[in-house]
Amino acid sequence: MSALRLTFLLLYFGAVFFPASAATIPAWLKFWKDKDAHSVANNTPSLTLGAFSGGTGESAKQALMKELNSTRQFKLTNVDPDFTVTANSVGGRVNGRLVNRSGKELLGRTYAAPGLDENLKAFADDLILAVTGKPGLATSRIVFVSDKTGTKQVYLCDSNGQDVQQVTHHSHGCVSPTLSMDGTTIAYTSYASGFPIVQVLDLGQGWERTVTDTPGSSFGASFAPDGERLAVVMSFLGNPEIFVTDLNANSAACISDSTGAPSSPAWHPDGQQVIFADDRGDGPRLYVTEVPKSNEAEAKLIRWRTGYVFCADPEFSPNADSVAFTARIGGELAVVVKGWPTGPSCVIQKGGASHPSWSPDGQYLCYSQNGTLYLHHRTTGHRRIILSGQGQITEPRWMK
Amino acid sequence: MLTQCSHFPGFHAEPIPEVVYALGSRDGFTSPLSVALKPACSALEFIGVSFALTGVHRRQLAPLATDPATSKDRYLIAGYAPPGLPEDFARALSERRAQAARQYLIESGVEAVRLQTVGFGFDSAPNAPGANVVVVYRQ
Repeated sequence: MSALRLTFLLLYFGAVFFPASAATIPAWLKFWKDKDAHSVANNTPSLTLGAFSGGTGESAKQALMKELNSTRQFKLTNVDPDFTVTANSVGGRVNGRLVNRSGKELLGRTYAAPGLDENLKAFADDLILAVTGKPGLATSRIVFVSDKTGTKQVYLCDSNGQDVQQVTHHSHGCVSPTLSMDGTTIAYTSYASGFPIVQVLDLGQGWERTVTDTPGSSFGASFAPDGERLAVVMSFLGNPEIFVTDLNANSAACISDSTGAPSSPAWHPDGQQVIFADDRGDGPRLYVTEVPKSNEAEAKLIRWRTGYVFCADPEFSPNADSVAFTARIGGELAVVVKGWPTGPSCVIQKGGASHPSWSPDGQYLCYSQNGTLYLHHRTTGHRRIILSGQGQITEPRWMK
Repeated sequence: MLTQCSHFPGFHAEPIPEVVYALGSRDGFTSPLSVALKPACSALEFIGVSFALTGVHRRQLAPLATDPATSKDRYLIAGYAPPGLPEDFARALSERRAQAARQYLIESGVEAVRLQTVGFGFDSAPNAPGANVVVVYRQ
């Protein structure tokens, strides 16, 4: 009875204040509707694929269309497009060109990698960058740990979980990997000597070198945005601390002041702050330290309150408006995103999800859950498995 | 009626000592990942994510510091953590526990150069302990 009365009251309220005709919608509501329509119609740039000449031109066109469709960055249409893409492709090589509505060339580049697919991924990323100003994901890589060979080793895959490559083959395993901003270098913890040491591997040239081989443990490496410094946990002083090492000078400076168990440092995109987890006897919490510019200056340390009593694996989003981290909720690990420096928290995934890492464009998070690698769209909440059946997948890190 | 409240033994958390002794060289120490090593005492079991030593832990470690026959032995103190924790945190926690055991042994008279620590988290080989323990291996 009360439900009927409530329905009647709502109908009465609606009839009096919001009559049914569209012409009588309040101004603020019309504004909202117009804005929504405008954003859908105009904010997604429209693009057409024009002439693709050459022996592999048609296959290049089809593959590029598929790649661009999967990115959802463009509305592909032949009707009044904002941008037009043309290309010439012979033997897998691609000469690509992008022009805007007025015919001005925005991009003209030759892609001469050995494979057509590789060239088209690079071309798609360049198109996205030229039009939206954000990095594309086609050439981005995710580094992770898998135990499918019996020991934990470091692997790479692309943003769709394809093209999986085993990077390390060390005895006793390798863990805690991280990629440099440009994706050319990996830092990881190796157990080859039986003890944890941090090593750097250049993917292009193949050389590998040891960064820290100090007594105690070394782990949790994280590249600074400039690619020349590494934040890492070391315990040779008698207590684990966060250090910043200069890869060129082979020097290290302590930036934490802990009597507990600090772990998982990650850089702010400005390269001047590092966020990390520290357990000072009451579970791991998040701390942020300002990296001093000179050896004489002291690092400033603040505790960042997240509302959770167990937080680890923090990572700043690429535009630094949020931090993703692992929390423990109801006895299970969960991935949480919280606005930085202040803002609401949002639980992205419960049920054992951990170790979140942002995509270069900040639209996706990857994380591991029950040994499977997931991709999660930040806005829509849609998630999908991108890699499974590869042993226990842990510690994913996306290149930035 | 409760009119006065004094210290309840075991009610308050153990104070966390600051570890101040830097580690010496690792040369000559052997990893349990490379060869099978013999534990010098029973494994120190921890609860939850605590890294403070309890009285039980101290009693387990005490013979290593007082036995004259073992006064020249060297020890590798290895921390382990169970799966289910964030991986990097597990490494830090296990290292911190190993450091806490080392600190106690130093304060009990063992020379610092004869002690080395490592934190494996839950990265080690399948035959290694997969639990909340610190194992002291005689070298």
